[in-house]
Amino acid sequence: MRVIIANIIAIFRKELQGYFASPLAYIVAVIFWLIAGFFFVPSLLGPEGIIQSVAQRDQLGIPGPPIDVAYEFLRFFLGVLGSLVLFLLPILSMGLYAEERKRGTLELLATSPLTNWSVAVGKLLGVVTFFTFMLLPLIFYQAIAFSAADPPIKLAVPLVAHFGLILLAAAILSLGMFISSLTDSTILSAIMTFALCLFLWLIELVANVVSGGVGAVLNHISLLQHYNNLVQGIIDTSSIVMLASYIILGVCLTAISIEALRFQR
Amino acid sequence: MSKKSKYWRYLIWLGPCLLVAGLIAGLVTGEWTVLPIIFLVIGLGIIIFGLITFGGAKNFFARRSTQAGTNAIVASVALVVILGLINFLAVRYTGRIDLTENQLFTLSPQSQEIVKNLEQPLKVWAFVPTPNPADQELLARYSRYGENFEYEFVDPQIEVGIAQRFDVNLIGEIYLEYGDKKQLVQSLSPGEPISEIELTNAIAKVQRDVLPKIYFIQGHGEPLLEAEQGGFSQAVASLEKSGYEVEPLNLASLAAVPEDAGVVAIAGAKRPLIPGEVSAIQTYLDNGGSAFLLIDPNTNPGLDSLLQEWGIVLDNRIVIDASGTGSVLGFGPVTPLVRDYGNHPIVADFANGISIYPLARRIDTNQVVGITATPLIVTSEQSWAESDVESEELEFNPASDVPGPLNLGFAFSRPVSSTPTQTTPPPETEAETPPATDEEITETEAEDLETEETANEAENNPEARLVAIGNSTFATDGWLDEQLNQDLFLNSVDWLSKQDEKSLSIRPKQPENRRINLTPEKAEIIFWSALVVVPLLGLITAGIMWWRRR
Repeated sequence: MRVIIANIIAIFRKELQGYFASPLAYIVAVIFWLIAGFFFVPSLLGPEGIIQSVAQRDQLGIPGPPIDVAYEFLRFFLGVLGSLVLFLLPILSMGLYAEERKRGTLELLATSPLTNWSVAVGKLLGVVTFFTFMLLPLIFYQAIAFSAADPPIKLAVPLVAHFGLILLAAAILSLGMFISSLTDSTILSAIMTFALCLFLWLIELVANVVSGGVGAVLNHISLLQHYNNLVQGIIDTSSIVMLASYIILGVCLTAISIEALRFQR
Repeated sequence: MSKKSKYWRYLIWLGPCLLVAGLIAGLVTGEWTVLPIIFLVIGLGIIIFGLITFGGAKNFFARRSTQAGTNAIVASVALVVILGLINFLAVRYTGRIDLTENQLFTLSPQSQEIVKNLEQPLKVWAFVPTPNPADQELLARYSRYGENFEYEFVDPQIEVGIAQRFDVNLIGEIYLEYGDKKQLVQSLSPGEPISEIELTNAIAKVQRDVLPKIYFIQGHGEPLLEAEQGGFSQAVASLEKSGYEVEPLNLASLAAVPEDAGVVAIAGAKRPLIPGEVSAIQTYLDNGGSAFLLIDPNTNPGLDSLLQEWGIVLDNRIVIDASGTGSVLGFGPVTPLVRDYGNHPIVADFANGISIYPLARRIDTNQVVGITATPLIVTSEQSWAESDVESEELEFNPASDVPGPLNLGFAFSRPVSSTPTQTTPPPETEAETPPATDEEITETEAEDLETEETANEAENNPEARLVAIGNSTFATDGWLDEQLNQDLFLNSVDWLSKQDEKSLSIRPKQPENRRINLTPEKAEIIFWSALVVVPLLGLITAGIMWWRRR
């Protein structure tokens, strides 16, 4: 067991160093930060932003229903991030194995004494950690904004919401890793991952039309609903199990596909 | 592997894609027409063809790679099945924690209770062709609390048989089916969500065998129960929706309050009641009845003996609200906006919500032994009871006016046993004389099986209840749907009819009222770091890395 964990950590460190030394990863991060910033700043501070529009309502003194600005903003912004992650993460996951194939190091990995799944877990941990690093500036902006909340905000909902975002990212990256292990073309792997995630994201639309058991199953497969649960501050065990299932599925399928690769020749 | 077959290999993946497309198309439309079947056949064909083409070469099934491939497929299928089972169990036994501050996504305790205690299966039929997620969420929430709760969304244009069984005439109608009873809950306009309040009230109502009766006393210039200017038609409709039967009552011709009365309301009487009527109401109260008094300023309902008995003092001065909060909504100073409520089940969850009382009088109380009086509605600090409304300037005059906060409404209760002995003798007609002793009450109640709750109440803890509010306009058409007015009205009736344990009106969940007050400095920090500093740092780092790579 200790050997396995040591192996996972070794792979994890190698991967992480690779990300922090790779210009492409930084470019993806910059795009992510820019787009997120373009959503964050206007919708919070802009003339059409939530603070201004609620302040106008208050000045008129309209006794409308109470509104929790911080909570509304959190839901909106994490909803945006959820869609953004869908577009960007396939770019991070596309190289996980496809690069190794290109460089010809995949055979080394496949035949190394390390078990396939521990390699997969190490790689996944690495890329999820890099994604968490990408989130840090956004968490910093939110912390500044929410520190000015009155009455003071309780941390439970924002924490669960961000946990949900990382879980969603891990699920997407895990599936992306599997697709990346099938092909040696990084572009193809990115496009396939994106298509798969979009399909899982939007399957809910189909599920709403289908009634009965099949509809319920399709509804459960959909990523969007489970992510929304967590973002709203609901910890639903079935949602967490589903997202975790995607992560496990991605890791195990990757291990199986690398295992099969040994005999492809 | 030749180059050609390498690309052909990718084409095999078309097979499963077509297969899935065919399956989905078939399931979505619900009918297996030609198109999905063609897809299925072609998909299967491609898979078989592919297996034969790539397998036909050199005793396919003996090769090691094939074995490995088969192993991989078996392992993948096993994995998917195992995960599927785990998820199935997770859905069956879901635990949910709602971390939002006001439990926005959790049913109110009343709704939970009512679903837990369902004795027979209850089904909600929503005749909505395209259910919206919020409605599905709400009904799913209900079904988590009880085995007996089921729901189904039906398109009335497709499932004509079901729609005819319920006699659906509009899309968007929600029906309950409980045993052999069917009941309309709501008729939704497009985009309107199902309301928890309506649904829970409807469930409470559909389970009752006998509807409690609310009598509105008529004949002294009270607003009519029909739709008219200033009538009570909305109030009556909302009572009927909450499972009450509402009837006008002309006491002058009856001489006694009917036995099946849950609540007797004297609302907005402009002329005094005759003494016989008053004594009939007193007798009814002495036997554990409930009365709802809505008395406007400048009217005298002639209830002095009854009011004295309960220690109620009507103040003839009009309440002036000088806080100016009403001016936003277009109300003048004689329309007090109330945000403060007493400590009573009727107003338990009003928090600081608003209710509005156009032209109200102050209600005061004297201590009477055996009677519990609880203030319900309290006006703001900047209000007073004005004695001289005719004067040009409305201003507080310490000599003749009473400073705020003022009480506009009280709830009273009095145990039946401590009934004062000198009750007026009941009117002459023997047949309609209500039973005068407790024993007789419980007997007749047990026989008649009038609303079980009332019977239990009467046996366990019989008490007479009374709510007095110095205004009736708040419950009339046009005012009832302002802010919390309807809640106050319905909750009062619920408490009076002793239904309050069952279905005190549930208020919609409301989020915390929170603002973000950013200082300009903090806003600057967010602006610059989000749009300039952080992305620029990232770019510079990317540049450095690229340079080092070279």
